[in-house]
Amino acid sequence: MLHKIKEFLGVDIKIDKYKKADDIKFGKISKFKIPDEWVRSTCGYCGVGCGLYIGVKNGRPVYTKGDPSHPVSKGTLCPKGLTEHEMVDSNNRVTTPMIRKNGALQAVEWDEAFSYTAKKFQDIQAKYGKGAVACISTGQFLTEDFYTLGKFVQLGLETNNYDGNTTLCMASAVMGYKQSFGSDGPPASYEDFSYADVIMLIGANIADNHPILKLHIARNKKIRGKKPTIIVVDPRHSKTANMADIFVPLAPRSDLALINGLCYIIFEQGWEDEKFIKERTSGALEFKKHIMKNYPPQEVANITGIEVKELYRLAKVYASADRAMSAWTMGVNQSSIGTDTVSAICNLALITGNLGKEGASPFSITGQCNAMGTREFGFTSSIPGYRNYSSKQDREEFANIIGVPIELIPTKRGYAYPEIIEAIDRGEIKALWVTATNPLVSFPDQNRLRSALKKLDILVVQDAFMSETAQEADVIFSAATWSEKEGVYTNSERRCNYAKKAVEPLGKTMSDANIVIEFSKYFEGKYELLFKDFKSSRDIFEEIKLVSKGQLCDYSGMSYEKIEELGGIQWPCNEQYPEGKKRLYTEGFDCPTDDGKAKLLPVDWKPLSESCNPNFPLNLNTGRTVEQWHTRTKTKTISLLNDLAPEAWVELNPKDAKKLKVKSGDRIKIGSSRGSVENLIVKVTEVVREGDCFVPFHFSEQMINNLTIADFDPKSFEPNFKQCAVNIYSDNVPEGIKMEETKIAGELEEQNSAKNSNYIEELSSKKREV
Amino acid sequence: MENRTPLESFINHKAKTGMQCGNYSIDIPELKEGEQYRFHFDATACVGCHCCEAACNELQNNPADVKWRRVGEMEGGEFPNVLQFFNSMSCNHCIEPECLKGCPTNSYIKFEDSGIVWHDDDSCIGCQYCTWNCPYEVPVMNYDRGIVTKCDMCHDKLAIGETPACVQACPAGAIEIEVVNKEEWIKHNMEKEGVAPHLPDIEITKPTTRYTLPENMPQLSPADERLLKPAHAELPLVFMTILTQVSLGAFLALFLGQVLFSLGFNLPEPSLAMAIIAFIPSAIGLPLSALHLGRPIMAMTAMKNWKTSWLSREAIALGAYTGLATVVAGMYFLEIKGFTLIFVEAITLIIGIFGIYAQSMIYRVKARPAWNRVSTTKRFFGSGYIGFLLISILLLINNGGAGATVLLAVSLLAGMAQVLIVYEEVMFYRHLNKSDPLYYQLNRTRILLKEHFGQIKKFRLYSLIGFALVLPLLGVLFTASGLINLAITTLVISTVGALLSELAGRYLFYRTVVPLGLAGNFFAGNQRG
Repeated sequence: MLHKIKEFLGVDIKIDKYKKADDIKFGKISKFKIPDEWVRSTCGYCGVGCGLYIGVKNGRPVYTKGDPSHPVSKGTLCPKGLTEHEMVDSNNRVTTPMIRKNGALQAVEWDEAFSYTAKKFQDIQAKYGKGAVACISTGQFLTEDFYTLGKFVQLGLETNNYDGNTTLCMASAVMGYKQSFGSDGPPASYEDFSYADVIMLIGANIADNHPILKLHIARNKKIRGKKPTIIVVDPRHSKTANMADIFVPLAPRSDLALINGLCYIIFEQGWEDEKFIKERTSGALEFKKHIMKNYPPQEVANITGIEVKELYRLAKVYASADRAMSAWTMGVNQSSIGTDTVSAICNLALITGNLGKEGASPFSITGQCNAMGTREFGFTSSIPGYRNYSSKQDREEFANIIGVPIELIPTKRGYAYPEIIEAIDRGEIKALWVTATNPLVSFPDQNRLRSALKKLDILVVQDAFMSETAQEADVIFSAATWSEKEGVYTNSERRCNYAKKAVEPLGKTMSDANIVIEFSKYFEGKYELLFKDFKSSRDIFEEIKLVSKGQLCDYSGMSYEKIEELGGIQWPCNEQYPEGKKRLYTEGFDCPTDDGKAKLLPVDWKPLSESCNPNFPLNLNTGRTVEQWHTRTKTKTISLLNDLAPEAWVELNPKDAKKLKVKSGDRIKIGSSRGSVENLIVKVTEVVREGDCFVPFHFSEQMINNLTIADFDPKSFEPNFKQCAVNIYSDNVPEGIKMEETKIAGELEEQNSAKNSNYIEELSSKKREV
Repeated sequence: MENRTPLESFINHKAKTGMQCGNYSIDIPELKEGEQYRFHFDATACVGCHCCEAACNELQNNPADVKWRRVGEMEGGEFPNVLQFFNSMSCNHCIEPECLKGCPTNSYIKFEDSGIVWHDDDSCIGCQYCTWNCPYEVPVMNYDRGIVTKCDMCHDKLAIGETPACVQACPAGAIEIEVVNKEEWIKHNMEKEGVAPHLPDIEITKPTTRYTLPENMPQLSPADERLLKPAHAELPLVFMTILTQVSLGAFLALFLGQVLFSLGFNLPEPSLAMAIIAFIPSAIGLPLSALHLGRPIMAMTAMKNWKTSWLSREAIALGAYTGLATVVAGMYFLEIKGFTLIFVEAITLIIGIFGIYAQSMIYRVKARPAWNRVSTTKRFFGSGYIGFLLISILLLINNGGAGATVLLAVSLLAGMAQVLIVYEEVMFYRHLNKSDPLYYQLNRTRILLKEHFGQIKKFRLYSLIGFALVLPLLGVLFTASGLINLAITTLVISTVGALLSELAGRYLFYRTVVPLGLAGNFFAGNQRG
């Protein structure tokens, strides 16, 4: 009472809470949050892999500060990293294992959760076969967690129906690299951004998704003395497009045609690097023939909507640069032709000799903090250490190293993520174990997914947070999260970073590796076979080192201490490269193909499987915003982030807004043939073209993946998240935007000379009008 | 736990970014005579990532809605030739800071050496007047503390060579600390380099922030253009201003009655009841204003800065007025009459008039265009007609019809004046000039009045005519017809109604003001007004 009165009168202005004081390491910082100790670690959000210090006070994280000696982030952090400490004690954490009893999730002891789940898995496998149990993992684990989980699922549960959520984000890059270079593994370094003459960002909105990479671009001018030419290729004028010297507003999903078209012009003009092509690539003849036959500039201009003379300018800028860097993310990967688009980007780099040089590489920027870790040792699309299921030698080698019978190693990859969902829908898979991912927000075509998941006998969710998927689970394994466990993350540039444990796991949570190891004890003989030497994360890391030795992703020269000392190490790290290697495929570093050369691959652009139509005349693009992380399990309780981006919105071109008679701030319904979202706030903006709209996918409250299409790349199984046909319904125009038959096609063609042929074909018969 | 790190401290470590960002220590030249520190913001480098905002809040331990640094978002052009313009702004450490001038407690100091505009938390009473005065909406109320706080360029860090949080955090190196010669800046460069889209006229405060802008910028509109958030209602101030103004009106009636009576006109002599009714509204209203403060206990210190702050002047004058009005009531009680009474009343009145004038001048600030009109002063005095009505009622009760018609006629005139002033305001918003540099803000006020508060606005207008004109006119009619009781009833209704009308008008006054400032964020908008 007295306190209330005092507070009202303003006697106490809480000086201590808002005062700064001297910290030994970082100087003057908030006194209230001066930690007892600083623990050097790595950020657990995205694939950039920033170095940071976790401030620990009274055993809990209270501060995160950028590590200025870290080569990636050099002291900076994005808003999510800066507030990451808040995430650990979020009230959205799951702090105890749970089992659904009488329809409600109830806290149980670990033993009950494990024995219940093990019994279920065993019964299902006895009745329906080993493959009836499936697992979907993540890009959020530490590599030690991945390795342990993969080992257990493949060799313990003996099911190869196991895939990562990385299939939703990086799979196309993986498959594209495999096609072109013989193996996964991004060849570049972030510092290449600081040395490139030309930086081409394709479908990469780094301003929102990887803002710290801007640091390396900003350093370019400091280092080279002049600004690099930045080309941004994106159908939407993203924040990143503001950086562009040349913005290429290509038609949605026409990227592959654009790149092939640039190759045509380069060949036509003789701008290619003949020496490089001859010495370092294979398949040049066939490739050139394919390009020259199919991608003449006018054709490409029709597909992409980019004028012929602009194509020539682009080709010239790219080809004439001493060092050209091309980087991409989800705009390229999340596509039904993602794998081939990745190879097309590699082709372009190869014919101009932009590989394995400082400032010159085709570079995929990863989404999640350890998407790379699961690619290397996750045991999903390959055997740990980039080994092939189909190679008997690889299987033998792996079995020998870890001491298991070779028969146990699968001979082929099981179902990929979308195939697992389909198999559940068919009734083939009865049990699903989901770890640190949230399909009930992130997977396309939510309604179909939801109805499929209902057919499961058991859904087990292993997560640190009460995600939308966890809410539907039959069993929850409560996991520790970032800062509560020890291990390594690999970032986009192959840098293996050390994430140190700073605090004890909250409540009854365990590290993901420990959960798996403990769980394995409920399966006869499996713990003894697989994990008996895994006493700590270091033991797991040692086995990873053994498994990787001699492989491209060679960890054998690393140790936790060395990684920490160097601020991460870029693999391969071995006797030859004791401090790692900045770039792959440099002079004398062969590609892991049969002939050691990179492959020039004839790849083709294909039109969208679902194009705009009279009922759904708009194209929906989905993506991210800097303030939120993926499905918000981690960020939804962080007040600073939610203050800036509290809900989803739809970006709408003023012309479309006019047709719908809506203004910024109005609320609309958006729908596709698969589902809809209501009460979505409108942001009228010129960053999207007429006929396009954009909605961020983070928000379960406005679940845009209700609308997206379950259309997958046949090679990578990555969903085509960025394009599907939708309509918008406003209060004033409840029937939505209409397409109408038009009378004169020629007139329209004139108006739309800058649009792609597909577009024009459609438009010439139907015109969008209210 | 073992904490093995390669470096013990990052203060002296250089992050090799080649920029001020990333480093926890900063190298800046020493200040010479006439120089100060300032921010440089490179809008061509900023990518709108909000790192600066987050880093600032983390360093200051500020809650999410207390932002010392914000990123304004604007957009212009037509697809695909679009510019998304981000303006990361904290305090501009102005050469002529309005926050400092207006602060009633002298809580702002412009450091003579560094030029940093610093806010002294201890002496702040949370009156938030600086949040009205700053055309950039930089000072922000922290309700957890009950005081206003603002960016101090991390002056304590700078002083020992440490990097301000925002500068350290920016991955684009878009925020830097520089040294500027103040005179040269004002004379030559401010006009060219101190301006950015959608920021107020630099002449108001002479900000020091230097901008690097993109070439060939299109016309830009703020991201929160359509996001209309009404300003704070300031209810204690709604009541305080109206009540003190009514009090002054009543006191004027009292004084005029006393003078006319003394001059021998055939009018009744003012009574003790009238003196009491004149001072009561002010006595109730004035303390109410303390409720508006974050620290009511320190209310009295608001009188400190009479030299430059209208708020201090108001506090002193209305404090004195209320005190003297009490003395006047005491004189009626003790039946002290004649010249002494008239003299004391005259002094009280003059101080009261100055008090209400000062009160109105509080709102005549450049940062708030809707308030910064002569009409504000007029309306503040105009509300006094209710005081005339109050005295008229007492007159009718005490003396019947004798003399009341004269006072009622004056009341009617005063009410008429208020109607005209309000009519002028209505017409002003109906015919806003699009080329007015303040059009953006004024138009938003117009939209708020029309769309958010349409009902209240209607009530305000019709009730004003009804209660300030029609009913008093009926009162005159009834008085002239000898229907005194009916006249009293009519006037009581008229007074209550008029009071409600004025309160509604004042409520609108606070809620519909749209301050100058940085463009907002699509969701967060700009600072609380």
